[in-house]
Amino acid sequence: MGADLSRLKSRWRLKDRSRSSYRSREALLGYVLVAPLILWLAGTILYPLFSAIRISFLDVGIIGTGGEFVGLENYGRILSSSRFWPALGRSLVWVVSNAVLQTLAAFATALILKQRFRGRRIARVWVILSWIVPTVVVVIIWRWLLGTSGGIVNYALVTLGITQEPIGFFSTGSSAFASIVFINSWRWFPLMAVIILAGMQSIPEEFYEAAAVDGASPLQRFWYITLPGLQPVLFVLGLVGTLWSFNVFDIIWLLTKGGPASATTTVPVFIYDMAFQRYRLSRAAAASVIVGLILLAFALLFIRFFSPPSEGEEQ
Amino acid sequence: MQQKIQSLQRPLGTWLSVLLLLIVVIAPFYWIFTSSIKSPQEIIARTPTLFPQSFTLEHYDHLLASSAFPTYLVNSTIVAGLTMVITVTLATMAAYGLYRLHFPGRDLLFKVILVTYAFPGILLLIPLYDMLTRLGLVDTLWALVIVNVTFAAPFAVWMLQAFFRSVPHELEEAAALDGAGRLRVMLRIVLPLTAPGIASIAIYAFITSWTEYMFASILIVSDANRTLPVGLAGIIGQYQVDWGLLLAGATLTTLPVLLLFSLVGQHFVEGLTAGAVK
Repeated sequence: MGADLSRLKSRWRLKDRSRSSYRSREALLGYVLVAPLILWLAGTILYPLFSAIRISFLDVGIIGTGGEFVGLENYGRILSSSRFWPALGRSLVWVVSNAVLQTLAAFATALILKQRFRGRRIARVWVILSWIVPTVVVVIIWRWLLGTSGGIVNYALVTLGITQEPIGFFSTGSSAFASIVFINSWRWFPLMAVIILAGMQSIPEEFYEAAAVDGASPLQRFWYITLPGLQPVLFVLGLVGTLWSFNVFDIIWLLTKGGPASATTTVPVFIYDMAFQRYRLSRAAAASVIVGLILLAFALLFIRFFSPPSEGEEQ
Repeated sequence: MQQKIQSLQRPLGTWLSVLLLLIVVIAPFYWIFTSSIKSPQEIIARTPTLFPQSFTLEHYDHLLASSAFPTYLVNSTIVAGLTMVITVTLATMAAYGLYRLHFPGRDLLFKVILVTYAFPGILLLIPLYDMLTRLGLVDTLWALVIVNVTFAAPFAVWMLQAFFRSVPHELEEAAALDGAGRLRVMLRIVLPLTAPGIASIAIYAFITSWTEYMFASILIVSDANRTLPVGLAGIIGQYQVDWGLLLAGATLTTLPVLLLFSLVGQHFVEGLTAGAVK
């Protein structure tokens, strides 16, 4: 079989002329195959992006009303708004605290799953359960678990004597924020864990064997082999994870509606609320544009400073 | 002696850590499943029961017979099904072009698609709403299909990378020499070999659509067109939450996802992780 294939291949190389026409047909087929998706995305992402900019210069309230050109007024209103900057600040806290919590949980989980135990193949697949179920189910689960009457968490806390009274997890600003960070992290950390685990498994075992021979401690092995080996994975997770985490809306909205007293109003909640509860579509569009620029700047800086060296450049 | 203890300690530590992980991930699901078959009195009892003391299907009965849940279920299934078909078609075609063929501009197109999968959907909320209103698609299931494909397809292309790249080029070249055209090679050789990947993105598209809440909450106006997430959220929002009904709803909403995931789990996780690692 192998010899057959290589003979075929050399015959293939000889047929130069037919090959070049094959190549151009290949290119044509390539464009034909990729075009539908590219056109779809141009229509549903690129065009809307421009249209967001256009809307941000108008005075649309409810869709279909207004539409007068108002220049930069919406931008002025957003930038001087007493609600926008706090929302941006909360988004920053949201992204950072989610990142910290999820990274810790994901590393611990990856190390647990890396061990040899019966059923580990199944465990490594089903661990992402919380990520594949609909967010509305995640919301129902945690409302039920954290409820003040009948919630098992409060029951456990009171029974164990940790608190006297049931805790209203969503009733004060800081506890509501902490709760949604916890719930969102619970949803996402298994996905991060399986990605980190795959990264760990791509590190050659010989590195660890050599380190063991040199008498490196487990901590040293983690620091000098595992972490550098994970750099490409951590780069992708850092960039994409931040953008995805920033984008989280449904968990927050369904648990707290951004409250109490705006304590959990992150930027997506702010935009949604502005557009569809306060009916200021154009102002919300202006906020989207501003936030888009901030995220773009973040992405460019992140790529500039954390991009792992590509294969050829290493060492 | 000490060695013996150590060799016993290791599996014990392993087991305890795995058990802890299992509890963190699975226990919440156990809790809603078992609670959904408890009697209303037991659900709100002061002392929660770890194992159901009563068994009743009344919440499910109520949900299916006298709530709008069946309507939501049908709508969600239609939207997820269409999203799945369109996503698989677009993503598989694009993946074949990007991973198996050579043409000028390929790397650029690949990067464009990569950028779109990380793109925050909230930035498109208003303009997509505007666009779909102009197209007269608001309050139709098509609006949701269009949005869901947009967010599922780029990541699906990414997931397919590992599967398409693993098919040896020699196979295709040999078939081409035998006179098979590109299209035939694609349909007869590459697609069957990448079937697990294609099944995985089909399920990914389904799941993405099944969970989508934000766009569905503004693009759908009438109750008859609501999907499950928005429908269930409506029940949560009621003043007196009927927990039995809600827990039964959550259970039934989760089941299709579990079923589909169990078909492709291994490949699904492979596709998810391979892209990030390579």
